[in-house]
Amino acid sequence: MSGRQSYKTVLSSYIQRRSFLIRLGLVTGGILLDGCIKKIKSKAYDFSGTLTGPNAAAGHILRDKIAIPKPTNNRNVKVLIIGSGISGLSAARWLQKNGETDFEILELEKHTGGNSHYGANQISSYPVGAHYTTIANTDDQLLIDFFKEINVITHNEGELPYYNDYYLTFDPEERLLINGEWQEGLIPDFGVPQKDKEQIRRFLKEVEVLKHTKGKDDKYVFNIPVINSSKDRSFTQLDRISFKSYLEEKGYNSPYLLWYLNYACKDDYGQKIDKISAWAGLHYFASRRGKAANAEDNAVLTWSKGNGWLAEKMAEKLKANITTSTVCYSISEALDGKLQAWVYDTQTKQSSYIIAEKIIMATPQYVNDKLLKNLQRPNFDYKKLSYSPWLIANITVDQLPNSKGMDLCWDNVAYNTPSVGYVNATHQNISLSNKEKVLTYYLPLCDFEPTIARLAAYTRTYEQWLDIIMPELRYIHPEIDQAIKQIDLWVWGHGMISPNPDLIFGKNLEAAQKPINNKIYFAHTDLSGISIFEEAFHQGIRAAKEVLNK
Amino acid sequence: MNKKLPALLLISVFVVATCGLIYELIAGTLASYLLGDSVTQFSTIIGLYLFSMGIGSWLSKYFDKNILSWFIQIEILVGLVGGFSASILFLIFESIASFRIVLYGLVSLTGILVGLEIPLLMRILQNRFEFKDLVSKVFTFDYIGALLASLIFPLLLIPYLGLVKTAYLFGILNVSVALIVCISFAKEIKAAGYLRNASIISILVLAAGFIYADKITSFSENMAFSDTIIYSKSTPYQRIVLTKKNKVLRLFLNGNLQFSSDDEYRYHEALVHPALQALPNAKEVLVLGGGDGLAVREILKYPQVSNITLVDLDHGMTSLFQSNQMLVKLNNSSLLSPKVKIINTDAFSWVKTQQKKYDFIVIDFPDPSNYAVGKLYTNSFYKVMKELLAPQGLMVVQSTSPYIAPKSFWTVNKTLESAEFKTVPYHNYVPSFGEWGYIMAMHPDHKYKKPQSYISGLRFISKGSFDLMLHFPKDMAKVETEVNKLNNQILVKYFEDEWSAIL
Repeated sequence: MSGRQSYKTVLSSYIQRRSFLIRLGLVTGGILLDGCIKKIKSKAYDFSGTLTGPNAAAGHILRDKIAIPKPTNNRNVKVLIIGSGISGLSAARWLQKNGETDFEILELEKHTGGNSHYGANQISSYPVGAHYTTIANTDDQLLIDFFKEINVITHNEGELPYYNDYYLTFDPEERLLINGEWQEGLIPDFGVPQKDKEQIRRFLKEVEVLKHTKGKDDKYVFNIPVINSSKDRSFTQLDRISFKSYLEEKGYNSPYLLWYLNYACKDDYGQKIDKISAWAGLHYFASRRGKAANAEDNAVLTWSKGNGWLAEKMAEKLKANITTSTVCYSISEALDGKLQAWVYDTQTKQSSYIIAEKIIMATPQYVNDKLLKNLQRPNFDYKKLSYSPWLIANITVDQLPNSKGMDLCWDNVAYNTPSVGYVNATHQNISLSNKEKVLTYYLPLCDFEPTIARLAAYTRTYEQWLDIIMPELRYIHPEIDQAIKQIDLWVWGHGMISPNPDLIFGKNLEAAQKPINNKIYFAHTDLSGISIFEEAFHQGIRAAKEVLNK
Repeated sequence: MNKKLPALLLISVFVVATCGLIYELIAGTLASYLLGDSVTQFSTIIGLYLFSMGIGSWLSKYFDKNILSWFIQIEILVGLVGGFSASILFLIFESIASFRIVLYGLVSLTGILVGLEIPLLMRILQNRFEFKDLVSKVFTFDYIGALLASLIFPLLLIPYLGLVKTAYLFGILNVSVALIVCISFAKEIKAAGYLRNASIISILVLAAGFIYADKITSFSENMAFSDTIIYSKSTPYQRIVLTKKNKVLRLFLNGNLQFSSDDEYRYHEALVHPALQALPNAKEVLVLGGGDGLAVREILKYPQVSNITLVDLDHGMTSLFQSNQMLVKLNNSSLLSPKVKIINTDAFSWVKTQQKKYDFIVIDFPDPSNYAVGKLYTNSFYKVMKELLAPQGLMVVQSTSPYIAPKSFWTVNKTLESAEFKTVPYHNYVPSFGEWGYIMAMHPDHKYKKPQSYISGLRFISKGSFDLMLHFPKDMAKVETEVNKLNNQILVKYFEDEWSAIL
């Protein structure tokens, strides 16, 4: 019986693997073939730009065991933090705030910030990743404290925090291209039939109720950070089904509503409603309870550098403790119980090892799998985590062509298009004089399963990406070709964790968060299941607290 | 053949005469449009033109050989010079110092060339007619042509074609004469082929000018503006259009009236004097916007003011008001004063970098009709301005019409108050704008005293008139509004609603 069972498993996994390889071969082969044809044809675009991504060279050191020179020296540190994204920086900030100064942050890139990285050209800074956050939930005191620290909250007016006017998204904020015209706001309205409008209203009313609903444990059903949400099973079971089946069950079938929900899920999770859990889908709408003295509830904060601005503010006081361009390629436990981190400096091409008492892994789990291969993480299988790949295009334009309806906003989305639209990176600029703009276009690569989409993404050339995004841009702005001066592309292979069913409240993630021997701790948004600034911020603090307590 | 040719040449006389007078009329009309004072302009243009024709006639004796060929060449040249004259004059008007030189130069050149035509023609025809017949026929056709020109010019050409296209049309006719003569007399002319090609090319060039004339002088704008456009230019930031009717100059930015020279004093006196008259010790003055220099003109009437900093985004605007004679006369050379420092930059970014305090600040921005300008009316902007205002200083903000756009006006007031300014709103009537509003703002502990008297030489403001301006009748009474902020831009929405209701 068991033999047959295992035979079946092996066979089915073999078939799965084979069909995966076939699909992969078809997709990447197609891209390569197309590339060859392109080479023969003449140049199709009269602008240029770059195609980059996270430091792939450094990444390869982890994946493929290239020959690394023998360590030439070593140093000691009490707490070593691997990764200087928001989680790592937040952990370091917490250590520093609580009097722990003996720590070092390792970063494999030349810059800090992780997924909040940004770029710049003559016109403006622009995000290449995470680019906004919302005002803090009223019960999120840790985040409110941080916002006060960096002058995002300037003072209190009565009970309510007063947010810095220059960081609140300027009006006009959002527009949607639908039925031939730009409407204000992203919820479909212009030319939408009454029947659909009613369904949209019903859904929004439902999530508004959920927003204020608490579980049996008197915790909000949906909260930020996720860990503060109610564990009431009647709600956490929503994590076991897909958002799509939840909506079907509730009788939601309006194409306009479903588009809007797909847009929202792509925007926050990089996947459509069929791939993510109902709990995650609802969290997007029902978890924010932020208030401000000078802005609407849940107002959005943004900067031309995107969340890179927040990362820089966080890193300001930590500069002396950050080592960039350094890859940690292995971690092991020495006989004396201390930890050894083997690191390679990509600039000097030298390696060394760091002896640490404790390590905070502020790195995604697929990276940790390589670094910690000598150590056990019981009951955790990193392969079950899925990351959404993204393409970000920063489009430099001179005068954007006029279009019908609402003026250019910060966030500009087109109904029924592959991307989640573009933001105007120069929106928060107070000067009126600049007609040139940088538009940051976000394309989640969610048409294939992430592994295939990722490898395909790594295969494409610059021109091939343009062939993908230009038709949509031309649909949105028919005369955009003349306005484009430059397009810079950035590919995130592992853009963000995808909250598939059974991830957030599943056993796997619970196991992943457990420290190893009270020496190695974990802080990353993939452990929350939701990749937003606040999660990273709290992940870092939680890990730092664990370090300080033990 | 010999019978046909003299007739052709006589028709040429007719066409040449018509064209000649048309060029003269174009020059005269253009000069009176652009420089004003039509009697003087027409008189001088006609005088100069006739005198130049005299020079042309005198010069004709130096043409001995190949007269027919010379005649054709001159026709082509007249056609080109006359055809392009209107466009050239419109385009160079911007640098008015040299404008008269070019104007009179073109008039003289056209006159000389036209003056050459008739004597040369008469000599061509001298062997084909008796002298008395010749004189009679040539001058008959000449004067009939003149009559026709003087009738069709005001009745048909200006209303339907406009100056620029008329010029090109007659240029084409002129060169066509050359072409026809050239073809008909091909055997009697040396290098006929060369002259024919030159004529054809000239006609094509002139036809292109005719077709693209709209682009040259924005003929379409002539339709939109009731008055004559005498200057228009697109700077990187806006479209500047200056119109003139009789003696009244009007300036439009992106189609919105900025001032009309016959009543702008009402606006600028109201903007400046109620505050500055109350500041006997005001030395440092800041003007934001107001690149026309008209507010600065009023400020310079106070000798205690030692420095005026003018911040205007558009260099095209400030340099126009520094160089154009008519405009410099209007602002009394204010932007050329040594007390004035002009900074062409973005006001919001600039004020954020400043430390200096100013005794008097004038904020004269365009109306908040779009989100970009709307930022300059936000509480964030006023908070920055508060840092720049001296403790005993005063700031005045142009605040759109409290009659047409009461919500907009009172939003500016509310926004200033939210930035912890004490305000004094007031208004007056400016005929070309309608009822207009201003808000004086100061630090809360500053006590503003209405001036008991004003400097001499003002045409509108007096103690009595200012008392009236402070009163808001029921139809402009204060309404409750929200604060205008970067993250709501409520003012732009109010402004759009209120003005679209009347336009």
